[in-house]
Amino acid sequence: MKTVNHKTPSLGGKGIMMGRPAFTDDLADANSLIVKILRSPHAFAKIKSIDVTEARALPGVELVLTHHDVPRTSFTRAGQGYPEPSPHDKFILDEYVRYVGDEVACVAAVSEEIAEKALSLIKVEYEVLEPVLDFEKAKNNASVLHPEEGIKEMFPIGFLPKQNVAASYAMHVGDVDKVLAQCDVTVTQSFYSQAQAHAMLEPHCANARLDFQNRLVIYTSTQTPFHVRRILSQTLAVPLSKIRVIKPRVGGGFGGKQALHGEMFVALVTLRTGKPSRIAFDRKEVFESSYTRHPMRIDMRLGAMKDGTLKAIDCQVLSDTGAYGEHALTVFMVAGSKVLPLYNKVDAVAFGGEVVYTNHTPAGAYRGYGAIQGNYALESAVDMLCAKLKMDPAEFRKKNMIREGETSPIFAIMGEGTEGTAMNMDSCKLDYCLDRGSELIGWKKKFPRVVVGPHKVRGVGMSIAMQGSGIPLIDMGSATIKLNDDGFYNLTVGATDIGQGSDTILAQIAAEELMTTVDKMVVYSSDTDLTPFDTGAYASSTTFVSGNAVLNAATKMKELLLTEASLSLQVPVSEITFDGKTFKTKKATLSLSDLANHLYYNEHQKQLTATGSYVGHKSPPPFMAGFAEVEVDTETGEFEILEYVSVVDCGTPINPGLAKGQVEGGITQGVGMACFEDVKSSPKGKLLSNSFLYYKIPTTLDIKKLTTEFAQSYDEAGPFGAKSVGEIGIDTPPAVIANAIYNATGVRITSLPVTPEKIIQGLKAKK
Amino acid sequence: MAFHHYHRATSLEDAQQTLLSHPSNILLGGGLWIKKSNAEADTAVDLSLLGLDQINEKEDHIEVGAMVTLRDFETNPAIQKLGGGFVAHAVGQIMGVALRKLATVGGSIAAKLPFSDVITPLLTLDVTLVFYPKKEIKLADYLSSKGKNKDILTHLIIKKTPGFGFFKKVGNTALDFAQLNIAISRLNSHVAIALGSRPGVAALATQAMAYLNGCAKIGPKDIEKAAEMAVAELSFASTTFASEDYRKTLALTYVRRGLEEVLAHAS
Amino acid sequence: MQVKFFLNNRPFIAEVSPNDFLLKTLRDHHVTSVKNGCNESSCGACTVLLDGHPVLSCSLLTVRVEGRHITTVEGISEDVKILSDLFSDEGADQCGFCNTGLALAVYALKRELKNPSDEEIKRYLVGNLCRCSGYQAQFKAIVRYVRNEQ
Repeated sequence: MKTVNHKTPSLGGKGIMMGRPAFTDDLADANSLIVKILRSPHAFAKIKSIDVTEARALPGVELVLTHHDVPRTSFTRAGQGYPEPSPHDKFILDEYVRYVGDEVACVAAVSEEIAEKALSLIKVEYEVLEPVLDFEKAKNNASVLHPEEGIKEMFPIGFLPKQNVAASYAMHVGDVDKVLAQCDVTVTQSFYSQAQAHAMLEPHCANARLDFQNRLVIYTSTQTPFHVRRILSQTLAVPLSKIRVIKPRVGGGFGGKQALHGEMFVALVTLRTGKPSRIAFDRKEVFESSYTRHPMRIDMRLGAMKDGTLKAIDCQVLSDTGAYGEHALTVFMVAGSKVLPLYNKVDAVAFGGEVVYTNHTPAGAYRGYGAIQGNYALESAVDMLCAKLKMDPAEFRKKNMIREGETSPIFAIMGEGTEGTAMNMDSCKLDYCLDRGSELIGWKKKFPRVVVGPHKVRGVGMSIAMQGSGIPLIDMGSATIKLNDDGFYNLTVGATDIGQGSDTILAQIAAEELMTTVDKMVVYSSDTDLTPFDTGAYASSTTFVSGNAVLNAATKMKELLLTEASLSLQVPVSEITFDGKTFKTKKATLSLSDLANHLYYNEHQKQLTATGSYVGHKSPPPFMAGFAEVEVDTETGEFEILEYVSVVDCGTPINPGLAKGQVEGGITQGVGMACFEDVKSSPKGKLLSNSFLYYKIPTTLDIKKLTTEFAQSYDEAGPFGAKSVGEIGIDTPPAVIANAIYNATGVRITSLPVTPEKIIQGLKAKK
Repeated sequence: MAFHHYHRATSLEDAQQTLLSHPSNILLGGGLWIKKSNAEADTAVDLSLLGLDQINEKEDHIEVGAMVTLRDFETNPAIQKLGGGFVAHAVGQIMGVALRKLATVGGSIAAKLPFSDVITPLLTLDVTLVFYPKKEIKLADYLSSKGKNKDILTHLIIKKTPGFGFFKKVGNTALDFAQLNIAISRLNSHVAIALGSRPGVAALATQAMAYLNGCAKIGPKDIEKAAEMAVAELSFASTTFASEDYRKTLALTYVRRGLEEVLAHAS
Repeated sequence: MQVKFFLNNRPFIAEVSPNDFLLKTLRDHHVTSVKNGCNESSCGACTVLLDGHPVLSCSLLTVRVEGRHITTVEGISEDVKILSDLFSDEGADQCGFCNTGLALAVYALKRELKNPSDEEIKRYLVGNLCRCSGYQAQFKAIVRYVRNEQ
């Protein structure tokens, strides 16, 4: 291969570092009305009255909207395929406010100062209600978050709002209780994983204007422009054809922009005033009023025989979706579906649980999407089992984990809110990943611990993980390739580059198939008018689904080129060889650029375009093995991660440099969840960690040494053998760190994050 | 915080008069904390024209202007020599360079910021604060003084005393506030111990210090005892980000380690 | 009130309120290369150079910049081209939102520190947060730029 799996500069890197306008807020109309949101100071309240007369009268204020002024259509903000597996439990503005930071009213004014002044002039009388702040007490709580009419599930997901249940699910293979009873060794443990903030560097923003065709044109920092367009259309009752959504460069998403944020408000303001408008969340709003990861309690039961054969897994989940149910069912299901198949040879496996509403910032999509929470619980429990078996955790995993050619019944049973898709692991290099990772970290020498000083001890820990590559039978991506004079191409894709480099790797795929170079492939993406459809950047779908669509389009284009060359050279296609630049027959040559020019200006004139689409029939998982060596100060509990080793099977890495960046970024974000990041609320439900001053993400000094390698792997189903790499990197750190700390100190941390204080408490308890 | 007028003072007298001319008027330090306040001020007074951003090294002391930025402070050769560099080291760990080029030494001290990594190490040195109009007060006394201060901090006077110091900040990531910070100095054989962010503002463990400085020779048992005394005499409390118990564990450990380190440097 | 300073060596005159911060003034005047990441001194995305030194523009009152020199990436484009080529080569390009602030800090670092160690480079740049990259590839590119290893 000439382009795929070769180092290739990213398409936007230089322009962005040079400061060219590129991000959503950079592109707002200069005379936009500034849109600001009045937000609830209460975790749960009913708006008894809301008086906006003074606010409306303030000079410079163009529009003030309350729940009296907006369409009463329930929807979900979640960017997912239609019909969504998330309940339609949100109104644009409602008479209930359900978390501190929830939307109360919307103001549009000519300046930021006036907009803020107007917010302060809105008089609201609240009936403060008793909030539900403990997710373990949410079900059947006397306080019901969603008592209102007009909310619904789009298909059965176990939506029981009167019980504060957003979704539920259960499955089993075999009889877990029976098998556990026959096991030599069992582990029963509950694990708690915390909410996590995406903390992407670019806050949420959107801006709108009416163009000269009187159509609503929105720039938004989003992962799902097509879903945004559909949700706006359905909720505001504006024809789809009258809305255009464009995604510019996005400053990070990680799932936090896989749902609507400000789009509904700028849309309404612009439609009602006729004027351009813009909204930009400040960092406090990003923390309080966008989304978080779903906190979960996971109750694990594992059973094994004394020879180390894992026999049964029971995994029950309670997930907290916060005030609204975006991504409630699907994240919870992935905690099982993209974790449990790792141990596919058990006799019995059960997974189930519920997702409950609480009066917290809504939880939503977040890289890993349940798999990181599930991995923490399962891989910690596996190590606990190994301790009881007195078995090396690496050996235990090798004995029980899934291998190439195998399958798991879970694939067929569990999908994304629906049934799953059976599949064999056509590519699975987990065994290589585990062996190579062990070698790189020095597992044999270092397991479980090495004492290096009077109060310094080092330990190693590991975890294996899997994810998916798109949602089979649901996620569709498409691409169009257009030939230009001079012989270069435009590649238009719906696929959403949110910084992961999809524009670049899709250009590489097209260039590879058309035997040309990336500089001849001009990419434009994510514009609902100008690019073909794509569900968006989530579920690790871009390389696999969108990539296959691009490959499809490129293949078709190649055929069209040969047909035109045949016409031009007057020989059958079979007598032509094409190397990407030149068509050759026995007697003649014709350059692509000449052909392209002729097709525009001289003979057989036509515009060549080819469109390809792709829907996956399977979702071949990427795999990885993660290892870390930690050094713990046993007097203070402080610890350092000396090295983190990742060995990843993502199939063919289309762009090795960018793929490595995905893994390293994922590991760092996972380490943040494992060690540093803690979403904390006050007893009244107010977010205390609503600023970078208090919510600490890893810095360059906190990440000491990352060693990242890829396994040689190739999956037939993927473009040039590629699977996916966007999420797999984040899944292992919580279990790896928890296991390493246990091996170093004997302290088992069962609630995240792992902190020095918890370690010291554990050490003191052991004394 | 909003303010309606901005005034660049032409003299200290002018600054003070403007400051006192309206009860809401404020003095600008580095300006880092303006956004954190919802208050409204009539006038913000700026001292930038008054040459208070200089560090002057003299024979036996260093004069540090209140408007000296943390960055200029930490990179100054005279400051870097203090106690073997522990003060410069402490200040150099605060947030990032781009913040330290704006934050001022005077601002950190005048506000008695409880989590300050500037105050704790300085408290173990002989530091006098100079206020306009004529008032000089030792740093320790200033920290324990009550009431609002409308005088203008113009300088610090740091005595140059040979010796060695230790500083440790315990925090989450490299950019975190301290869960606890510890400074120990041994200058001219006099030991000082200061603990800050307990969560209270830095304070000297005077009883522990008196004990150590009364020892003819300090051995491991004395160090242990002093650490215990320091933990016992100072107040600790739990906050969202660290518990009282954990802070005490850290204090016990790092006072001990700090003392071991500064004593090991004794020639 | 009116403020006059130099932006990338050209005079820049703006009408501002006393409590406007430089970040807002610059972005209101369409200097979009300076980014608003947090607006509370904690992320480094808004970094500009003040007389050659990195400062947080979200925390610098515009009125205090009278007569001073402000540099944004538009003013150091030759160095940015070199640094961005190195970023590309190391696979460090991701969302790019932190890149302009980081580029200015890296530029200043090279001119301020003599033969910095790896640790010193990281310490200088610790205030420039990145959520995408995990810092590894960025660091390799930065080291090559600082040590002239192209």
